[in-house]
Amino acid sequence: MPYTRRFVLAGLGGVTGLPLMLRLSPGLAAERSVGLSAATLRSLIADPLRARILGCSYRAQFPAEDHPGVLTGLIGSSLGLGDAGAAALNRDALLCVLDARVRAEFGAGDIVRADGWVLARTEARLCALCE
Amino acid sequence: MFVDARTLPQRFTVDVDICIVGAGAAGITLARDLSGGKRKIAVFESGNFDFDAETQQLYAGQVAGQAYTPLDRDRLRYLGGTSNHWEGSCRQFDALDLADWPIGVDALAPFYPRAHEICQLGPYTFDPQDWSVDEARPLPLGAGASLKNGVFQYSPPTRFGTVYRNDLASAAGLTVYLNANLVQIETNDAASSVSGLEIACLNGKRGRVRARCYVLAAGGIENVRLLLNANRVQKSGLGNGFDLVGRYFMDHAFVPLAATIVGQAASPEMRFYNQHAVRGQIIEGYFCASDEVRRKEQLPPFAIGIRPAGNAVDAAMGNVKLPRALRNLMSDDFANHLTYYLPRWLGRIEAPATWLNEKLWRSAPGTYNTVYSCGPAPDRQSRVTLNDNVDALGLRETRLDWRLPADFERSMQRAHELLAQELGRTGFGRLRIESSATTGYDPIKDLSEGHHHMGTTRMHNDPHQGVVDADCRVHGIGNLFVAGSSVFTSYACDDPTLTIVALALRLSAHLTSALS
Repeated sequence: MPYTRRFVLAGLGGVTGLPLMLRLSPGLAAERSVGLSAATLRSLIADPLRARILGCSYRAQFPAEDHPGVLTGLIGSSLGLGDAGAAALNRDALLCVLDARVRAEFGAGDIVRADGWVLARTEARLCALCE
Repeated sequence: MFVDARTLPQRFTVDVDICIVGAGAAGITLARDLSGGKRKIAVFESGNFDFDAETQQLYAGQVAGQAYTPLDRDRLRYLGGTSNHWEGSCRQFDALDLADWPIGVDALAPFYPRAHEICQLGPYTFDPQDWSVDEARPLPLGAGASLKNGVFQYSPPTRFGTVYRNDLASAAGLTVYLNANLVQIETNDAASSVSGLEIACLNGKRGRVRARCYVLAAGGIENVRLLLNANRVQKSGLGNGFDLVGRYFMDHAFVPLAATIVGQAASPEMRFYNQHAVRGQIIEGYFCASDEVRRKEQLPPFAIGIRPAGNAVDAAMGNVKLPRALRNLMSDDFANHLTYYLPRWLGRIEAPATWLNEKLWRSAPGTYNTVYSCGPAPDRQSRVTLNDNVDALGLRETRLDWRLPADFERSMQRAHELLAQELGRTGFGRLRIESSATTGYDPIKDLSEGHHHMGTTRMHNDPHQGVVDADCRVHGIGNLFVAGSSVFTSYACDDPTLTIVALALRLSAHLTSALS
C-alpha cells in the first residue's frame, strides 16, 4: 500500500490543481486552436500512466461512460463549448475553461471517488480517457 | 488550608456549608470561587499532592465494547485530577453545540471569559481571522462554503493542583482534605435530601461530613460510581430512578490518518491547521461543518486538522508533543506518565523507520495527513455501570462500555468529502480518503479515544431524560449537585475542559445565590 500511495502521489506530485497535471504536448503550440477530441484531451495530461489508475476506477463505477467518444462528448458538453466553441480555443484557453469547470464542480458537490481520491467529475472523466 | 485526612481522629466529623467531592478542574474552580466569604467550604480529594500508586489503584475498572485505555491509566487520582495530564486544547461551545441542552449559549457566555483566564489562555477570541498571520492563515472558504474554520487555543496546560495550590491553601473558610475518599452518600428515607457523606482513608480512618449542600466533582466515570454505590435507600443507585445514571457516556473519537492531501508545499494555509504559535499563544486551526450543513446532513460535530505527511514522530506519540512528553516524564509523576505514554509509543514503533524512509525517499512536497475528531451523538447504550469487583474501600468498581455509532465511518468519510470539495474549489489541492477497500489502509483501526468522559449524569429538565436539571442539581434531591463533564447533554468536537470550568463557575454563582 505505501508503494501504491507514493506511486500515485508522485503522479500527482505537487499538484495544486488540474492545470499542473496538464502539460503542453509536443507539436501543440499555445496559440493554435485545438478541437475537443479524445486525443487532444489525453494530451493535456502530464502522466497518463498514473492517471490511468484513477480512470480505471471511474470507468468501473460508470460503465455506461466506458468509451472515449462518450467521455469526450460528456466533457465537451460539461464545458458548454459546442463544436464551434471548442474549435476556437487554443490550449491555454481550454485549460482555463477546464479549470473553471473543475472548481465549479467541486463547489457544487459534483464529485466522484476514484481509488480513494476525491475528484471533480470532469477531471475523473479526463483520467478515464487514459486507457 | 490542607489537611491530611489520615491524621484526623477516628470517626471525625466535619460540618460545613458546602462540601465538594473531587479536586480536579471543576472541584478546584468551585472551591476557589465559593471561598473567601463567610461560608465554610470543604473539598474532599481522594489523592494527595502527588501521584500515589495505592490511591491510583482505586480507579481500576473494566472495559467492554469499544477499545479504551485502562481506566486506572486514563485518569489521575491526586490534587488536580486528570488536569495533571491534560494536553490543553480549548474551545468554547457555540449555539449549535448547545442545541440539545436545557441551557443556551447565553447561560455560559458570562462565565467563559473567566474560565479563559483560569485556563491561562491568550487573548479572548476564537475568531480564525484574529489568529491569521502571513506564515499561517486559514484557507479562504467564503460565504456559502460547506465548511468553516475554527480555532483551538492551547492552555500551557494548566495543572490545576499546582497552579492553584497556594490559592487553596490560603483561601478563607476553605479546607481541602487530602487522602479522603467518599464511600457512601447518606440520605433521608425518601432519598430526597442528602444528610451526610461517609469518608474513608486507606489507612482505615473514617469520618462523616455534614453540609447544607453537596457537589460531586469527581469526573465523568467516578461521579457515576459514587451515585450507583449509594444504594442503601434507592436500590438502583442515588438519582437513578429512571436508569439514566451512567448512560449516554460520550468521548470523542480521534482518527489520526483518515485522509491524505496533496497540495501546495510549505503552505501557510496548511500550517494554520497544525499547532503553531501566534504572538506567543499556541493555537491550532481546524475545519468543521457549517451550521447549515450540520443541520442538513445530520453530521456529528467534527474537527479536521492537518499535519505534514511523514510527521511520523508526532504520529508515534499519538499526537502528544515530544517536548511535553519529556517534561512530564522528568516530573515526579514519572511512573504514571510512563504508563500513559508507553502504550502509545510501542503501538507505533515502526513509525520512526517509516519517517526515515520517507526522508530518504523524499516524499512528494506538499503532502499532508488529516487528523479527524468528532463528538458522536449521545447513545443510551454507551454507558458506565458497576462490576462485581470491590476496591480496597469496599466500593464496587466500574465497567465502561463505550459505543460508537454504526455510521461513524460514513460520517468521517463524508466530512472528508466536504473538505476535498473546498480544497478543489479553492484550487489548493486534492484529497484521498483512506479505506481498506481502496487504499488498503483502514484508519478506523487506529481510532483512539479523547480521554474525555462526558454525559453520564446528563443535564435535562425532564428527569426521564436527564440526571441533573439546568442548575446541575440531581433531580429529586434538593441539596445534591454535580459538576464536571458528566453533566454534558451532548458533545462538541473538542476538549471539554474550558466548558467544565465555565459550568463550574455558573454552578458556583447558583449556589452562592441559593445559599444566601
